[in-house]
Amino acid sequence: MLAAAFLSMLFSVPAARAQSVEELVRQLPDGSYSERGKVVAQLAASGDVRLVPLLEALAAGELNVVEETGQVVTIAPAGDIVRLTDALTAETAGEASKGAVERIRVNNSLRRAVRAAIGQLTLMSDSAATRRSAAEAMFNTAEPDNLALLDEALAQEEHAGVRRTMEQARAASILKTDASAEQIAEAVDTISARGDRAALGILTAMLGQAGDDVRPAIEDGIEAIERHLALLDVGQNVWYGISLGSVLLLAAIGLAITFGVMGVINMAHGEMVMIGAYTTFVVQNIVRTSFPGLFEWTLAFALPVAFLVTALIGIAIERGIIRWLYGRPLETLLATWGLSLIIQQAVRSIFGASNREVGNPSWMSGSFDFYGIAMTWNRFWIVLFALAVFAILLVVMKRTALGLQMRAVTQNRRMASSMGIRTPWVDALTFGLGSGIAGLAGVALSQIDNVSPNLGQGYIIDSFMVVVFGGVGNLWGTLVGALTLGVVNKFLEPYAGAVLAKILVLVFIILFIQKRPRGLFALKGRAVEA
Amino acid sequence: MPRTDTILYLDGVSVAFDGFKAINNLSLVLDKGEMRAIIGPNGAGKTTMMDIITGKTKPDTGEVFFNGSIDLTQHDEADIATMGIGRKFQKPTVFESHTVEDNLLLALKGQRGIFPTLFHRKSSEEKARIGEILATIRLEDRRQDFAENLSHGQKQWLEIGMLLAQDPKLLLVDEPVAGMTDAETAETARLLREIARTHSVVVVEHDMHFVRELDVKVTCLHEGSVLSEGSLDFVSSDERVVEVYLGR
Amino acid sequence: MITQRLLNALGGKILWVAAILLAIAILVPASNLLLPVGHPLRVPNYMVALLGKYLTYAMLALALDLVWGYVGILSLGHGAFFALGGYAMGMYLMRQIGDRGVYANPDLPDFMVFLNWQELPWYWWGFDQAWFAMLMVMLVPGLLAFVFGWFAFRSRVTGVYLSIITQAMTYALMLSFFRNDMGFGGNNGLTDFKDILGYPIQATGTRATLFAITALALAVSLLICSAITRSKLGKVMVAVRDAESRTRFIGYRPEYVKLFAFVVSAVIAGIAGALYVPQVGIINPGEFAPANSIEVVVWTAIGGRGTLFGPIIGAVLVNYAKSWFTAAYPELWLFALGGLFVAVTLFLPRGIVGAIGQLRQYWRSRSARDEGGAPPETPETEQVAAEKTVRARSTAVSPVLGAAKPQPAE
Repeated sequence: MLAAAFLSMLFSVPAARAQSVEELVRQLPDGSYSERGKVVAQLAASGDVRLVPLLEALAAGELNVVEETGQVVTIAPAGDIVRLTDALTAETAGEASKGAVERIRVNNSLRRAVRAAIGQLTLMSDSAATRRSAAEAMFNTAEPDNLALLDEALAQEEHAGVRRTMEQARAASILKTDASAEQIAEAVDTISARGDRAALGILTAMLGQAGDDVRPAIEDGIEAIERHLALLDVGQNVWYGISLGSVLLLAAIGLAITFGVMGVINMAHGEMVMIGAYTTFVVQNIVRTSFPGLFEWTLAFALPVAFLVTALIGIAIERGIIRWLYGRPLETLLATWGLSLIIQQAVRSIFGASNREVGNPSWMSGSFDFYGIAMTWNRFWIVLFALAVFAILLVVMKRTALGLQMRAVTQNRRMASSMGIRTPWVDALTFGLGSGIAGLAGVALSQIDNVSPNLGQGYIIDSFMVVVFGGVGNLWGTLVGALTLGVVNKFLEPYAGAVLAKILVLVFIILFIQKRPRGLFALKGRAVEA
Repeated sequence: MPRTDTILYLDGVSVAFDGFKAINNLSLVLDKGEMRAIIGPNGAGKTTMMDIITGKTKPDTGEVFFNGSIDLTQHDEADIATMGIGRKFQKPTVFESHTVEDNLLLALKGQRGIFPTLFHRKSSEEKARIGEILATIRLEDRRQDFAENLSHGQKQWLEIGMLLAQDPKLLLVDEPVAGMTDAETAETARLLREIARTHSVVVVEHDMHFVRELDVKVTCLHEGSVLSEGSLDFVSSDERVVEVYLGR
Repeated sequence: MITQRLLNALGGKILWVAAILLAIAILVPASNLLLPVGHPLRVPNYMVALLGKYLTYAMLALALDLVWGYVGILSLGHGAFFALGGYAMGMYLMRQIGDRGVYANPDLPDFMVFLNWQELPWYWWGFDQAWFAMLMVMLVPGLLAFVFGWFAFRSRVTGVYLSIITQAMTYALMLSFFRNDMGFGGNNGLTDFKDILGYPIQATGTRATLFAITALALAVSLLICSAITRSKLGKVMVAVRDAESRTRFIGYRPEYVKLFAFVVSAVIAGIAGALYVPQVGIINPGEFAPANSIEVVVWTAIGGRGTLFGPIIGAVLVNYAKSWFTAAYPELWLFALGGLFVAVTLFLPRGIVGAIGQLRQYWRSRSARDEGGAPPETPETEQVAAEKTVRARSTAVSPVLGAAKPQPAE
């Protein structure tokens, strides 16, 4: 039967050249099933990809013909009439009464011919992506009928990746036939090498009806897939954890400077993040209205602006309020909390209480697949950004004059002062740096979070947890703390749910601080307790 | 020397902070009723030694015994204080927002639990004892003043007074005359000698005149262990001590 | 003699404040119940409820003052104890509804029926008994404070670290109570109460009685706190606040002192919460919000911490201002509150009561000078204050990057 179809295909090739695709399509409604089968074969030989949806509609019995004109259409009922769409061009083709169209009938043999034609059109298409998705579709349907087609396609396929998919589709189809035990074992190997949920589904379904001789091979295959899936799960969770950790890192790292280096509890830190996000919003609006061509570059403009704005606000806060409260950390905490209320309300008054939309540039939208782990571009860039900020900060602290002076002032203020360091300015600049970094964090967070006056509130407690957990006064501790908390959180989530996971992490930190009051990277010694 | 006759017995004590050996194989023995002066340059480990004795720092290795039999490494600060070791800090730390009298009342020997303290009523003996101590430390006319209003020297004395109120068996006194005038220094030396008649005392001090006035056995610490021990004249003529203090 | 001793034990000012509270406890309900509606001296119904709410807040501020003002523990989670007391009361009130709920289920509160629960969870058992609920009002916050404090104080977690983990505690509790699975009504909390001890909760008489009980409870709490702070233990508490390690070296255990104050404070806060719920008619997880707890700190700071009656004044004043602002200029309230935080910490570090005390001292010294005598006691001059700040600054600027390295003993 198949051979007959192929033969007829071969013979009709010249005829196909003679007749256009449009003419062939018009022949579809008429004639016996076997004649129409030949037409379908001719269509397949044309290699015209527009035919794929048309043939699919035919196989599904959704193809109609307008009796008067002979036009082949798909229809959408709208009351007493139907709306027509040309099946080939996908253009609207007006309306007709229900009686004016007739469904094109199909039987099983015609349906097989149609499926073969679709496979041929796609499996042998010029585009590797089309070939791959066709093979993927065949893997999922796993029709033994496709075997011949697949063999033919494999014979001429050169792209390794597509070849692999085709082989998998072939293996899946073989499982549905009465193949020998060796063939089945080989097919199971091929499928389990795929290692995803679809493969697992096929093998599990197979297990129920398999004979005893092939059962062990299938069970091994299932186990291998499950191992691989578990590994992927871990990988995916690690990635989610790193992603969350990088957000925590961004939010906490400025705090690590103001709290860790200066000993100042800045409860308005979250509001600096929020201002950074709103700065991005404003910059993006200016770009949109004035320089629409530069939209992709919005974030590059927003970063320095946000840094400057928040750093200046930070310096103003330090000069205006915090410097009067040095040595009184609890009072600082209260005053900056008051400030955070004022800033929130001010932003609410200016921008409104509702969320503001900040658009993603194209390079931050969408997702990609990394060895089976799904990653979104915006998360990916934020992880890189967080690490870059961390690295830059480390360099600033270790290698620059400001960093040196900062460390000098924090170790011995009076000595530093008597050596000519202007300690008040170092204080102000340190606080400005911490706030500016919060602003940078705001730019990044505007890409993944709602930009609202409450944006900062959501991060402040988490940020403190990171700094305290990592060990105050230690930037590396902040990095490790952020990533650890992020990963732990994401690993708990599948078992406990997001909220409970968060509660568990909080409880864990509360207990942890009892054990190591100075955090993960605690420094021992006499001076610590002074 | 048998350990049982000692009030304080340190043997082979070492402690390190992040690799820095603050105390290195230190051994020190104090007889009951003895007063000892400890000298040594900055960083010799004097304060860390005090921290170890009072339970603030746990030694990495070594034995620390009080009164011959009590292993101090097994107890915390409050335990050790109630057992009878009193400590005066280098920087005078009195309770600034309490009156002089209340400072002494808090230090006065007695039960330290929550509920005994909550329902405590000042007895006439306690009043008398506070009066005595105030006379000893010459602060009778400042009884109702807040401690924060005392001069530096007066705070030092108040702290010594608090030590007396505790009535400990062993007193650890860290730089009692730092920042005092000569007259105050002489007065403090007299006070300590008087205390030493009935108590064991360890005095850490930089001021050599003061140490000379105390006229007791001297131990010189250097880099966390004992460099020299004996009379002040013996120690100060020791080559190594001179080297440590003057350098080469 | 006995009066004298009582005065000594409780302090003159405190007795005055307690007496005023007693008078309020009698006069406000009396005027509300006895005077005819429309009488100029009659306290209207809504005002009774409002004042009652203020007084429960005052009690919460008082509780915070005991730990913050006297032991130096800045708890940013006191709202949690308040809310737990409130939930315990709320659970009793829920059980009192019986079969009068929307679903008319005699055994289960409405929200459990809604969630398709079949039976009462074990932790709801006993809450139909008033005595049990009242016990829990004190026991649950007290126990939480005990366990939390036991771990925190023994590991010597102090200062801002302690503040931050108390905040984390209330935050974690808030997240927990928001969960429906917890069995405390989730988002909506507990509400639609009908009766308390058999009396209809909305009735004027019940409300007036609740008010009187609140004022009395506040007065009693004030006297208890005063007795504690004026005892020798109170002196130890202040000593712990000012020089914790020093108290250790004279033989006290600061961790137990703190634990005692923390637990007493939590119990008072729990009772305050329990009195709050029937007067407001609802308790929900929002009460656990960290922002609420921080607001309590500002009431205390504004009134004057370490004075016991200052926080009462602060709580009433700030909440009155809040009621007025949110009615008249709602968008300005957060500015005002935020400004208060900043202004109080910068300009009124000892609160209203402290400022009045300083002012009085200043007048006294001036009048003494006018009479030709020397000032009896020099009030802290600006210069002294400035020196103090500098001193604090040079010594207390935190464990930091390098300072945390071990430094050789001198």
